[in-house]
Amino acid sequence: MLIQTVDLCKTYKNGLEALHNINLSIEPGEFVFLTGESGAGKSTLIKLLFREQQPTSGFIMISGKNINRLGRKDVVRLRRNTGVVFQDFRLMENSNVFDNVAFALKAVERPWEEIKTRVPEVLEWVGLAGREKENVMHLSGGEQQRVAVARAIINDPLILFADEPTGDLDPNTSAELMKLFEQINAAGTTVVMATHDQDIVEKMQKRVITLRKGRLVNDAIGGFSL
Amino acid sequence: MKMKSFRYIFPQTFKSMLANGWMTFAAVMTITISLFLCTLFWLLVINVDANATALEEDVRISAYIKEDTQDYSYDRLYYDILAIEGVEAVEYISREDGLKNIAGRFGNTDLLAAMGGVNPLPDCYSITAESKDHVASIAKKLESFTEIDDIRYGEETVDRLFALTDTLRIGGLILMLLMALAAVVLISMSIRLTVMARKKEIMVMKWTGATNAFIRWPFILEGLFLGLMGAVLALGLALVCYHYALGYIAQYVSFLVVLPLSAVWQTTVLFALGAGLLLGMLGSFFPLARFLDV
Repeated sequence: MLIQTVDLCKTYKNGLEALHNINLSIEPGEFVFLTGESGAGKSTLIKLLFREQQPTSGFIMISGKNINRLGRKDVVRLRRNTGVVFQDFRLMENSNVFDNVAFALKAVERPWEEIKTRVPEVLEWVGLAGREKENVMHLSGGEQQRVAVARAIINDPLILFADEPTGDLDPNTSAELMKLFEQINAAGTTVVMATHDQDIVEKMQKRVITLRKGRLVNDAIGGFSL
Repeated sequence: MKMKSFRYIFPQTFKSMLANGWMTFAAVMTITISLFLCTLFWLLVINVDANATALEEDVRISAYIKEDTQDYSYDRLYYDILAIEGVEAVEYISREDGLKNIAGRFGNTDLLAAMGGVNPLPDCYSITAESKDHVASIAKKLESFTEIDDIRYGEETVDRLFALTDTLRIGGLILMLLMALAAVVLISMSIRLTVMARKKEIMVMKWTGATNAFIRWPFILEGLFLGLMGAVLALGLALVCYHYALGYIAQYVSFLVVLPLSAVWQTTVLFALGAGLLLGMLGSFFPLARFLDV
């Protein structure tokens, strides 16, 4: 088992209960959709899974370790094994494609020689070969999200978390991006994606975990429910 | 953190300093003014200290003779003073010579004219003790001589100077703390702007597994550079002012012990640069705390 949540609860300081007793497990290599209406708790769950936030109660095990009790060094190690993609891409606007992707390798202090060879490889993998010098703001939404995906996978993470990655994209671009996520998953990376895009979920026929008002209400292969 | 990472960190530091040019300028100017005043206080305190120490080592006592003392008593008084235990030498200084000495010390050759032709000084015996340990006992003995009006020796002045040094130290310390606070706030504001501008970058660094040290160093370096630049400017200004003050003091108040530039520059450089770097580091510490909570 790669990911396991045990009685996971999250209540924000304003009293809003975002998650209530979430128990789920995800095997290595799985592709899992988290679905539900806005405010169902999808984004909160993603944030807890990559330890951006801490649960109010319960805990999360990743690769057999309770990530809520990790020391700083172990948190750094955990994050080097996970990638994150957001709806709004979160790219550095004033930088080019190369620098945005290379940034993830610089941050983990990889040697420059490795950065020079690895970035073009990953850009080719996400369909942006030869676009290294272009400013990210001159790219289309779909291309910007590909840059964000390249940045998320360049460290070969075990798990890729994606929070509404197609939320700002048109249906065709979304479909192309989903192919990329499938390829990443096929290469062995576990993908956990929050989305409320019904078309995508129904086409992909992957495992779907549905949240409603912070509670897990459905866990099945294929289909879509809110 | 790997040393090679500084290849990434250094450019980041300078980029953000240039990007927030006006804030950088304001922070450097605040540090310059703060450290300039602090350095001047530092120079003042070490010089007052030096004067107090020099006086403490002084073994001379001035015994001022009453106006109505008859001429024939002067010789007897001379031998009586010489007979006091611990007295090494006694020198008679007439009121005219006394005035000339003072005029010489202040660089004014015609002090009598400046005082309207009236010399207010009494005649005086300048007594040299064998050692500074004898000064107090000699002074006490002199008090019993009816011909002597007043006695002046180092200890009194030393007490006053040390009191002045203490006041300067406390006043200086309060001023330094206020200035330091202003500098830290300005550096913090400058770095906060950089942090806000690079918030997204910092978050991405965290998510990709950058260590806190890697995230923190560009900002610490920015603080250190701001502090260093302010310190260098303040130091230059303070030492130039000191150089000119030395010339002025040598010309007009030559009796004061003023430490030469060669004797003060090393400690002053250490003081100013140390303070600048410390302020810079403190200023960079606060804006980051919130973003580094992994």
